[in-house]
Amino acid sequence: MELKADRVTKQYKNKIAVDRMSFTLTKGVTGLLGANGAGKTTLMRLLSGILLPTSGGVSYDGMDVGAEEYRDILGYLPQDFGCYPEFSGRDFLLYMSAAKGIQKRDALRKTEELIELVGLGDAARKKVRAYSGGMKQRLGIAQALLNDPQVLIMDEPTAGLDPQERIRFRNLIAGIGKNRIVLLSTHIVSDLELIADRLMIMKEGRLMWQGDRAACESDLEAFYISVINEEKHGV
Amino acid sequence: MNNEKMIARMKELCSAPEPEGKRVFFSSLRERDLPLGQPAVMSHREFLTGQLSYIQKRIWILSGFLMLFIIWGCSRSAGNYPFALTPLLAGGMLMETGRSRRWKMDELEYASRFSLRSIVLARMFTVGLADTAGLLMVIIVVRPYLTYSLFRIFLYMMVPFLTASFLGSLYERKKRRDGGLGSLAICILSSVAFAAAPLFSGCLYEERLTIIWTIGFIFLAVGFTGSMRGYIREMEEPVWN
Repeated sequence: MELKADRVTKQYKNKIAVDRMSFTLTKGVTGLLGANGAGKTTLMRLLSGILLPTSGGVSYDGMDVGAEEYRDILGYLPQDFGCYPEFSGRDFLLYMSAAKGIQKRDALRKTEELIELVGLGDAARKKVRAYSGGMKQRLGIAQALLNDPQVLIMDEPTAGLDPQERIRFRNLIAGIGKNRIVLLSTHIVSDLELIADRLMIMKEGRLMWQGDRAACESDLEAFYISVINEEKHGV
Repeated sequence: MNNEKMIARMKELCSAPEPEGKRVFFSSLRERDLPLGQPAVMSHREFLTGQLSYIQKRIWILSGFLMLFIIWGCSRSAGNYPFALTPLLAGGMLMETGRSRRWKMDELEYASRFSLRSIVLARMFTVGLADTAGLLMVIIVVRPYLTYSLFRIFLYMMVPFLTASFLGSLYERKKRRDGGLGSLAICILSSVAFAAAPLFSGCLYEERLTIIWTIGFIFLAVGFTGSMRGYIREMEEPVWN
């Protein structure tokens, strides 16, 4: 099980958002760190098959990420998403189940299960537009898990979560990441300190460093800053 | 031996053998209660019918009401004004087509198995088909109240409808995140324009101009189809940033 990026590049007119990045993701949690505008979201979209690379390619076990079969095993949480105004949290999950091609009976079971898992049991029948930022984010996390994904890509998943929710999310991801490929992007270093097995650090569209979490200094934040500032290349 | 013969010969020699015992293998899995690969997923037909329930109810209600109003208008000898109401029907279809982008659900839908393209196509197909079928029924129902031939009524109903659909689809492509008001305004303006047109050109509904209406119908149908194809093609690589 591996998700492979091979010299993947994305260019928007005169801006290179992702510049010839090559890496292989295997089972476990990988943290993607970078400042705002580093190209994390573009990379996430390339890995999710939402964007086509300008050059290079992304494949999962040899399968192109634009394939329906790939989307079938993909769980994706975008940085920013909306919801149809008439939907309750439960409706939203059932709708996403249908878009993911899950049969109604399984969708109902999975929806109830995930609503409890992300702690939205009391708010499941409330309209999503009445949800707080944290509740909406938890709903987004739930939808990403609907199809028991083998590849889970989450863009800033902890944004808007309170400290208690952050801990719950960390535990959830640590469990999920044991036998799946999980990629989390964030600009908050502490989010990754306890759960990431591997790290990738991006700056201005380029991969500045990648390696095992254990290979970093104990103070991850200091290590991240040193990589960003000194352009220490470990790639 | 030329290249073509060589390729054919190579295909013959290198072709994969027919799978043998595949059915026996799968039935043995069933007997032993072992999983047959991926769990059952929806077929495209199930998906299409499932999307029906996600189309906003107010669109069905407004479309139905509008069609009844057109029939009522024709039965009350309201002249050619009822024809000018058909652009309003296109509003529902345009609102449904741009709904994912409008409510920022497009990225989530794009990454799902059926993808944004299938979802939008399913909605557009369902609402568009319902509108067209409804209009055809209206044409048949109002025929006894009007002096025009069935073909001319068809043109007088479809040309305004397609005008709004075509212009609205062009607008939807340009203004992705617009709240839908632009498309609605186009439908209303088209409706007003067709209602007011006889004031400026009294011969508009004369039989001798049927050829102009026919050319207009073909132009709009081709233009609308092309525009929607472009819209769908853009979803293959949405420009998010």
